[in-house]
Amino acid sequence: MKRLSAKAVRNIEGSLFIAPWVVGFFVFMAFPIFYSLYMSFHRVQVLATGIEANFVGFDLYKSILFENGSVLYNDLIPFLSEAVIMLPIIIIFSLLIAIILNQRFPGRLAFRMIFFLPVIFTTGRVILEFIAQGEGGLDFLSRYNVNSFIATRLPELWANAIITVLESFILILWYSGVQILLFLAGRQTIPSSIYEASRIDGANPWETFWKITLPGMIPFIFLNLIYTVVDLFTFPTNPIIAKVNSSNYGLSSALAWIYFMIILAFLGVTLLVFHRITRSYRVVNS
Amino acid sequence: MGVGNAATHTDKKVIRRKWKWNRNGTVLRKTKYALLGKEADQGLLFKLFIYVILIDTAYIYLNPLFFMISTMVKDASDLVDPAVNWVPRVIYLGTLQEAWVMLDYAKSFFLSTGLTLAIAASQTLLCAVAGYAFARLEFPLKTFWMFCLLLTFIVPPQLTILPMLLAASELGWINKLYPLLLPALFGHGLKGALFVIIFRQFFGTQPKDLEEAARIDGANVFKVFYKVMLPLARPAIIVVFLFSFVWNWNDSYYPGMYLINAQDVPLSLGMSKISAGIEARIAENGPTVFDEPIKMATSFLMILPPLVLYMFTQRYFVEGVERTGLVE
Repeated sequence: MKRLSAKAVRNIEGSLFIAPWVVGFFVFMAFPIFYSLYMSFHRVQVLATGIEANFVGFDLYKSILFENGSVLYNDLIPFLSEAVIMLPIIIIFSLLIAIILNQRFPGRLAFRMIFFLPVIFTTGRVILEFIAQGEGGLDFLSRYNVNSFIATRLPELWANAIITVLESFILILWYSGVQILLFLAGRQTIPSSIYEASRIDGANPWETFWKITLPGMIPFIFLNLIYTVVDLFTFPTNPIIAKVNSSNYGLSSALAWIYFMIILAFLGVTLLVFHRITRSYRVVNS
Repeated sequence: MGVGNAATHTDKKVIRRKWKWNRNGTVLRKTKYALLGKEADQGLLFKLFIYVILIDTAYIYLNPLFFMISTMVKDASDLVDPAVNWVPRVIYLGTLQEAWVMLDYAKSFFLSTGLTLAIAASQTLLCAVAGYAFARLEFPLKTFWMFCLLLTFIVPPQLTILPMLLAASELGWINKLYPLLLPALFGHGLKGALFVIIFRQFFGTQPKDLEEAARIDGANVFKVFYKVMLPLARPAIIVVFLFSFVWNWNDSYYPGMYLINAQDVPLSLGMSKISAGIEARIAENGPTVFDEPIKMATSFLMILPPLVLYMFTQRYFVEGVERTGLVE
């Protein structure tokens, strides 16, 4: 028997390990993606004899985008503007909490235990129940009539978005569980020797934060941005999620695709903005 | 002489004054250090500030939990009495009992537990296998598959659910549990891509020496993975398993899609059905004081198992998160 080269052996071993995932990718990702793309161009009917699909071209997309836009514009646009406001709140809040939790102080473990609690609740129905109960608002908003103050001073779309965000402000903090975890894990990757060196050089903690901690956290902020955007778009309160259902396969698929494109665009813009902001930073520090 | 004397005198005075001033300065500095700290992160004010923020946030995080429990154990008179805010006069467990019966708790608890354990265990193992391959092994088109992994991460479930539903109905799997379990057996399923990424990052940070030593001793790749890498990966395994368990336990989207008319449903779906039923009744007959307690009681029964699990595992979990380094 001819002996295989070492490289070939390594390739075979690697392929064996990745095989289940790749098979799964074809079955649970590639096939559904292409099939839903196919369905989005067809009028699909599920009959007893099988599935009947008639080609309609871009009709379904046109109907969602232009003729019957209420689903998209009335529900999604407000949601997007909320997302724009929520994103920085979640990132900054979780970064702050992670840095504080990284300090040494008595009771640290107890606080950490509490701060990971949201990870348990923040999926699924429970959070919807809390929203329905009005948990998650801020008391002082109604007391000082902040809402009408905002409403009279800003364009309607943004005023409504800000009011919605404020009214569920605490829930937004609830959504920071995983982000805090990621930041906390990321903070461990900055070696403490750098902090000692900077202390010896006479840097005060304020400078240390801006010159060492923040640049070191940039990859994690990047990761958290992606995670948060993906997470926001599968929020249980997201209006589009309920609209994708099996009552009309073709139309729902087209809607899902438009939705996916919006996610991609949103992600793209977010990363571009992030890149712009951090570019100057990287130039200064390198 | 006299002049010299006078000079010494003045000198002494100056010195004494200086000394006095210095002492005052030391006192000042000491107070300053006590309040602000030599380093900014050691002073009393800073500590106070940290505790204020932490306690506020902890309150925010615990508040809904307290609200849930307090509402759940109120009886009818406590519910309508505005004077009773947080602490009910009597602990009334009738609501909890009712929720127990409505959820068919014993049955759906075992269904949920079995299903979620199976999903979480297979997701953890298979994602570890895939993550190890991505981190350490060679295979054709690796960059392409890495791209596919990231794609899987950002594709929303809504994009793939309809074809999967059609496929499940073709196979006669509607109202069965297979479509929920099957993706996990291939390292996919709910947030599967994230778990693969976590394992990839974890294995990527491990030193290569152990593996190489095992390879030189003649162990094949399966043995290296099973005997060397998996035991090392304990922190990552705990983190992924807990995430997977909790998220799958709470998920009602996939069960709601596949188990449309199923007789026995997982807790998450049972809970959303009850709450939908209550909404429908409110729309027809108007709200009653018992709607809220019932909803809270069902929520409580649903999150109780993961909460208990978390209480037992949280120490390992916290350590695990730090040690995985989750990301590079």
